[in-house]
Amino acid sequence: MESDYAIIGGGVVGLSVAWGLLRRGRSVTVIDGDDAGPRASRGNFGLVWVQSKGMKQPRYAQWSQTSAALWRGFAGELGDQTGIDLGLRQDGGYDLHFSEETLAETVAKYDVLKRELGGDYPFEVLGHNALRKEEPHIGPKVVGAILHRQDGHANPLRLLQALADGVRRAGGRVLTGRKVVAVDRGDGFAVACADGTRIRADRVVLSAGLGAAQLGPLLGFRAPVRPQRGQVLITEKLPPLINRPSLIARQVNEGGIQIGATNEEVGLDDGVTRKGLAQLAQEAVMAYPALARAQMVRSWGALRVLSPDGLPIYQESPTHPGAYLVTCHSGITLAAVHALRLPDWLERTPEAPDLEVFNETRFS
Amino acid sequence: MHEAELIILGAGPAGMAAAARAAGFGLSVLLLDEQPRPGGQIWREVGRAGPLRGDLLGRDYTDGARHVDRLDHPGISHLGGASVWQVDPAGEVAFTRNGAAQVARGRRILLANGALERPMPLPGWTLPGVMTAGAAQILLKASGIVAERAVLVGAGPLIYLVAAQMVRAGTPPLALVETQTLGDVLRAARHLPRALAGMGYLLKGLGLLRELRRAGVARFTGATSIAIEGTGRAEAVTFTTGNGPQRIACDTVLLHHGVVPNTQASRSMDLPHEWDDAQRSFRPVVDAWGRSAEPCVFIAGDGAGIAGAKAATLTGQLSALAIAHDLGALPEADRDLAARPLRAKLALETAARPFLDRAYPPCAQALAPADETIICRCEEVTAGTIRHQAALGCLGPNQTKSFCRAGMGPCQGRYCGLTVTELLSACHGRPQQATGAYRIRAPLKPVTLGELANLAES
Repeated sequence: MESDYAIIGGGVVGLSVAWGLLRRGRSVTVIDGDDAGPRASRGNFGLVWVQSKGMKQPRYAQWSQTSAALWRGFAGELGDQTGIDLGLRQDGGYDLHFSEETLAETVAKYDVLKRELGGDYPFEVLGHNALRKEEPHIGPKVVGAILHRQDGHANPLRLLQALADGVRRAGGRVLTGRKVVAVDRGDGFAVACADGTRIRADRVVLSAGLGAAQLGPLLGFRAPVRPQRGQVLITEKLPPLINRPSLIARQVNEGGIQIGATNEEVGLDDGVTRKGLAQLAQEAVMAYPALARAQMVRSWGALRVLSPDGLPIYQESPTHPGAYLVTCHSGITLAAVHALRLPDWLERTPEAPDLEVFNETRFS
Repeated sequence: MHEAELIILGAGPAGMAAAARAAGFGLSVLLLDEQPRPGGQIWREVGRAGPLRGDLLGRDYTDGARHVDRLDHPGISHLGGASVWQVDPAGEVAFTRNGAAQVARGRRILLANGALERPMPLPGWTLPGVMTAGAAQILLKASGIVAERAVLVGAGPLIYLVAAQMVRAGTPPLALVETQTLGDVLRAARHLPRALAGMGYLLKGLGLLRELRRAGVARFTGATSIAIEGTGRAEAVTFTTGNGPQRIACDTVLLHHGVVPNTQASRSMDLPHEWDDAQRSFRPVVDAWGRSAEPCVFIAGDGAGIAGAKAATLTGQLSALAIAHDLGALPEADRDLAARPLRAKLALETAARPFLDRAYPPCAQALAPADETIICRCEEVTAGTIRHQAALGCLGPNQTKSFCRAGMGPCQGRYCGLTVTELLSACHGRPQQATGAYRIRAPLKPVTLGELANLAES
């Protein structure tokens, strides 16, 4: 087995990078796990989101903006290749507020970020009445919202499926049901799996989500990632009720209203709790009172992959040159840059984006 | 918040027997059931329909009334119309009743959720006019309605019972199209010596077959290539037997090829399950008392493995004995003494099971449906889509669920789960146990956000 790249982890992050490398004519083998195990790619909320990101690190806000801007072309190309509509809508999104104080505080922070970004941060504040014109079902307790024009959402499961399909169509090899146990270095890398499979590759990308915590040290990474649980629920399919997505709720392209998400530090427990679901329901009903009559049909818990500051890590190994750690919390938002820009960084082309601030040495 | 020492989910044979036995030891019992009145599926509405239609439904049905009567005990609180949507191993159960979500807390939980009919995805099975034989029997029990110009399709003793009940009701089915072959019966024969201990079941089966013969109901066996034809609704069943292609025009098609444990609640608690090859289904792992891997959670009746109603009353009582002992209401020696006659009866009740499982195997065509056959009715996903996902590397049903939504609908995957597992298992040549099953989460039954939100406030 010989590939230019071995990609450890076949979730949205690993497959986006794989798809981007294949598109440039590189040969790729993706190594993925089995049906169980925490898979953030199966449980995330599906926002393609800019606002609130990078409040302390404008470079992250920019990186998210770059991806949001590339998303339409990315979805189009992937959609044409696979025939799968990713359900992308980028008409803006809301940060809803139930108090004037939190709204004002957030606006003040956005103003600072906007200045740091040279003015490219298109948001506006809608009071209750203005919001109601846009969202007729908004509840009386919502005092207002920040509408950010660069926000949107997509169907994350269609994205996952399209990437899995597109990588194969582009000639990538995807090995599922594998568990990586060792990575040996000699002439390139040899990735060894528990079932005896060995994959030889010139370069290795570690994009194994929470799995990077164990595998990272094999390649000289610290990989300081931790799980954070988010519980999400979804209603039966409903007629159009929510126009633009928010961090509280979005109406998915199939019609269900998805409501999220909790932020819980509970280790690797990806279960759902009655308390968590009840809180989500309470907030959603407060935002959109008509939802009180909607039936919840499913719920799930998923584990966010978080670095200590919540930002991505892009790092070449200091001890194993040619091995890269790629991990982030926002795999959906960043899918487009991971597919279309990160290969420049991996391949060290003149167009390579400057990802210095996302180095993991920032945590030392 | 309701409080009880024992909360039982399901007021069928296992749940009712367990409730009566546990209450007899002085335990407080909360019996939650989705139906307004106790009885489960097998004794559905026995209190009302027994006196009205007992003759045609038979003794095995009217016997259920005794078990319903035993619920009249001060220690038992029966809440009908309670739709349970979450159970946690710590002993809390959330349910909706009369439009309001409520929570009950118990020291022990007994799951007595019974069985589901094994889904039978055949070409045309989603047409109006097609239903399961079990659903048709429920209509007969609850409302006295009998399907007209019906053909029963599939395999298993229930088909004979439903057909005989239809004969007695004066509306015999047009035909029985059975999928088991002579070879199945011959292979099952090696289990006959043991099955003779459960002679009653075999004699009952022969009696039903005699009844059908006398009534002139046509029987076809070894049927393959079954399809339900019709534009807009079922109009005919076509199939092939040793005598060539057949076609029977009809108005109703009743499908059945066995029942499987309803594992939604046990799965939702992430309890370990194992594949039962003889019954082609998963069942939760429990000990001889029905205790699961979670020490406070017990499972009795068909939900722990298919053995029938009488066996369910016995396993329900065995769990009640263990729970009474756990909670200090029954010394160990007394528990073991009381268990002895139950276990002896259970051995007799289950003696015929290996023979029946092998004589009436599930319909092979429905376990491996043709590509164009819909297998997930909620999301209209075909078998071919699942096979395509397998080719994309999906090893298990949770991956296909993400990719094509099979199992995401209101039924929570009850009706496609086993089919998807079987399809993926066949595609990859991996055992069903390794292939796995859907991860089940709350809600087990839909609940409104308003009901849920009220729990946050209380």
